Amino acid sequence: MSGAREAVVLPLIFLTVAMFGGVVPGPVLQWTAPSLFSLVLAIMLIAVLVRTGALAPERLMHAGRSTLANANGFVVLVSLFAASAQALHMVTPGSGLPALVVGLIVFLLLLNTLVSSPDRRHVLRSVAVVVGSAFVLKFVVLASLADPQGSRTYRVLVALFDVATLGTISQEPIPAAAGYLAFCLLLLYLAGISALPSRLGAAGRSVVISRSRPRKSRDSPRVTSGSRAEP
Amino acid sequence: MREDVVRAGGLALAIVYAALIAWVYAQQPPTITHVTGGLASSVGAYRIDSQAFADGLAFFRRNQFVEARAAFGRADPAERDPVTQFYIAYSYYRQGWGRLYNDDPLFAEGLKRVNLAITLSPGGRVVLDDPDLRMHTADELRAELEAGLRRDASDLDPRRLFRERK
Repeated sequence: MSGAREAVVLPLIFLTVAMFGGVVPGPVLQWTAPSLFSLVLAIMLIAVLVRTGALAPERLMHAGRSTLANANGFVVLVSLFAASAQALHMVTPGSGLPALVVGLIVFLLLLNTLVSSPDRRHVLRSVAVVVGSAFVLKFVVLASLADPQGSRTYRVLVALFDVATLGTISQEPIPAAAGYLAFCLLLLYLAGISALPSRLGAAGRSVVISRSRPRKSRDSPRVTSGSRAEP
Repeated sequence: MREDVVRAGGLALAIVYAALIAWVYAQQPPTITHVTGGLASSVGAYRIDSQAFADGLAFFRRNQFVEARAAFGRADPAERDPVTQFYIAYSYYRQGWGRLYNDDPLFAEGLKRVNLAITLSPGGRVVLDDPDLRMHTADELRAELEAGLRRDASDLDPRRLFRERK
């Protein structure tokens, strides 16, 4: 992985998601920090990425790298954690039964992925499906139920639905700009995690980090074909 | 060598960006204007609109407090200038003051603004030598606003009918 990608591109992507993932646009901006449960989910997500090889932390921080390179790697890991927490917080409904259900489903999906340990490609697809589904639920389905601009009939139906569900489904109205912002940030986040240094190279080659032999470059790991990765 | 420069630059950029995120989430700026004003203020580059401030001061002296606040709001859109915030608080005090009773919502807003002025001022000290004012420090104004909001036996004292607005 190039130094520019590790030192500039990835931190900027993840820090942008971390900053704007918590903002609720409107006449008065609200900056919401991720919930504690989002932090737990973020840890699990990073564990999934590491276990499946989608993220190779040894390529970011390693005794053989320079201090500066290790600092860049540390920034990538910390910003990845912040962005993951904020992205998961962003797609989780704000309150009620949907918040509980979505949180539980994401937790179980991540747990299942962690146990089954699929390969990098499948785990990236899985993460895209999980956050994409949660996005559709929050910003399309639930937002349309909470839309205050509907017709009278629509509002009566929504009110009846609200009564039938004891008010556990309805959410606070979401500004239209929030959905567009969240969509862009999720794309950015998915692009970021797919650009993370993985255990397998782009051409399916394994990355071997040799600790015994001296390398030509201090920062880039030696790449060989056909052998399995060594953490 | 070039890669080291890129890495060092990226690290510095990330640290600055992370500090910005921490500042934004700690301060909770309500508008983008507040964000940019706060950032400019943190590097000492924030300036109020002096023409709008002069307009606000003229309105204030003519007891046109709503107009004065609108002009002061234009002068200090990011709410980072302690003097402007002091005048806004004073305008709430003068508008809300009453011989029989005070307007509590106006006094509460004034208290909020004077506290903001104290927070913004270095060392928490706001002192003005404006001869039009009878309270020259933010501490006096805050005490007056707090006393106006307090409910106690002195509210029934008939001598309060003879007090004067400061």
